[in-house]
Amino acid sequence: MSTASARIGSLTFRQAAVTVVVVLLFGLLGGLIELATEWRSIRQQVPEQTRSTLELVRGPATTAAYQLNETLGAEVADGLFADRRFHVITLRDNFGTTIAERERAQAPEPGPLVRYLFSDITDYRIDLVRAGVIPERDQQVGELTVQLDETEIAAGFLDRGIVVVLVGLARALGIAVLVVIIFYFMITRPLLRLHGAIGRIDPANPGQWQAPRLRLHDNDELGQVTHRLQGLMGAFQRVLEQRDQVQHENARMGAELDVSRRIQHIVLPSNDELAAIQGLQIAAFMEPADEVGGDYYDILRHADGVRIAIGDVTGHGLESGVVMLMIQSAVRTLVAHGEQDMTRVMTVLNATIYNNVERMGSGKNLTLALADYRPIRDAGESDARGHLRITGQHESVIVVRADGGMERIDTDALGFPIGLVEDVAEFMAETELTLQAEDVVVLYTDGITEAADPRHRLYGEARLMDCIHTHRRGSADAIKQAVVDDVRGHIDTQTLYDDLTLVVLKQG
Amino acid sequence: MSTLSGEGYSVEFHDSDECVAISGTLRLGGLSEYAPLMDLLIQAMQQCRTLTLDLRELEFLNSSGIAALSKFVIRARDHDGCHLVIRGSSAVPWQGKSLNNLKRLMPSLELHFE
Repeated sequence: MSTASARIGSLTFRQAAVTVVVVLLFGLLGGLIELATEWRSIRQQVPEQTRSTLELVRGPATTAAYQLNETLGAEVADGLFADRRFHVITLRDNFGTTIAERERAQAPEPGPLVRYLFSDITDYRIDLVRAGVIPERDQQVGELTVQLDETEIAAGFLDRGIVVVLVGLARALGIAVLVVIIFYFMITRPLLRLHGAIGRIDPANPGQWQAPRLRLHDNDELGQVTHRLQGLMGAFQRVLEQRDQVQHENARMGAELDVSRRIQHIVLPSNDELAAIQGLQIAAFMEPADEVGGDYYDILRHADGVRIAIGDVTGHGLESGVVMLMIQSAVRTLVAHGEQDMTRVMTVLNATIYNNVERMGSGKNLTLALADYRPIRDAGESDARGHLRITGQHESVIVVRADGGMERIDTDALGFPIGLVEDVAEFMAETELTLQAEDVVVLYTDGITEAADPRHRLYGEARLMDCIHTHRRGSADAIKQAVVDDVRGHIDTQTLYDDLTLVVLKQG
Repeated sequence: MSTLSGEGYSVEFHDSDECVAISGTLRLGGLSEYAPLMDLLIQAMQQCRTLTLDLRELEFLNSSGIAALSKFVIRARDHDGCHLVIRGSSAVPWQGKSLNNLKRLMPSLELHFE
């Protein structure tokens, strides 16, 4: 508050100082104009008055000069000398003889300003002429010269000047005081109240602020400023509340993402499980997108071989994660149950998911492909080492043979989205593959083929197939790593929009 | 003519040419939010002998929308007296696989890609 009052105080002080200076300047200017007018009028009046006074004594002075009458001369001189403005008076005849002379003794020396202003109007002289019968007979008989006292002429003028300056000063101070008082009551005091009220705003709770009621200012700018401030504080309050809500929502979504990420990884098969599988090398990779998607894969051993599942639940987040967990359990349940008929497996999975998704009311569904691998122990003459049945609608399955031959199995006709409609039995089909040593089979989700680079170009199936082909002689793990590196190189700095999932099988 | 619209999408049913045109980006939350659209489609189906669904301008349909559309196609399959035509665009990524699946749900459905 001390700085507040200091600021308001300095405002008042500056206002008063500026008012004083401005009024003084204008007062001085006015005074100067007044004095200049006065000066001009004095310079006009003094010669006129002096000349008319001299004209009055012209007659007796002429007579005195003509008759060389010193008594009359003295009378004339004394008469003039009664006027204090006359400093020196000299009456001479036409031979230069002084008939009468007066000079005031104790005349003060005029100051330089006075001399500057008036020294040129102090000296007067009239010729004394005795008139003849005709003008040609006029005869000069002498002259009368006078010198005025500058100090006497200036006395009134200087007094006037002092009065003008003093009045100007008084007027300036008076106006300044008046202006400051009027401004204090009209502006400074309400400003002070507003200033104090603003100081009481709670930054954490601006909406609670009560604007001061400025009496008589309801309809002027101060009233509007106050009113707008109140509105602004309300707006700040709403923004703060929205921010809090967004922070809360972000925290909630962050927690949900963490849960989703955990759900997705918590039931993935371990590397030990994969390594324990004989005859078939399996390498798998999954990377969740920034906003966790619904990718799923699983490798499940059963009495006759291995069941490989890969799927992609629509959408992102917790619900997709929950559906993914359901499909994982259901697939595992059916493996544990020993169900061999892939169409029946798919039909049961679909019914399970469909009915749960109906309860959720979310419309989630998923693409799901199942591959059932069985090793061939006694192939006789043939080189066949393994047998793979594939069912379900998902992305294509890529097969690269040991000799470099490539096959792409389109799964669109092998199934239907799981959980979309109540019964999918009629849409299910399966395809079979025989695997020879070193044959490679790759399953993936669309996160791989639709991974975008910084210029939004997709990675694509062709590049995926090329990459697998190039690295087909490596182990399943090496092929997986080559594809992951290639996809990551492609994505570069781009955001990962969808989960990446890749499963590589290599016949031993 | 009845219409539905919301943020980023619009649905227009022109009964004169028996066509429902859906355009924009549809990402409503959950099946319940697709109920008004379903009602409009079912009503249109009951009015028309041949109903055309024009999806060429529908750039995105989320999974709930695809589920709703699948349910509608099953309703249409089980409802006699309305021939269903769907017009899609091969330039719109989501439509290829999804519309073909609808065709598999209802083999009598006439599907045109442009």
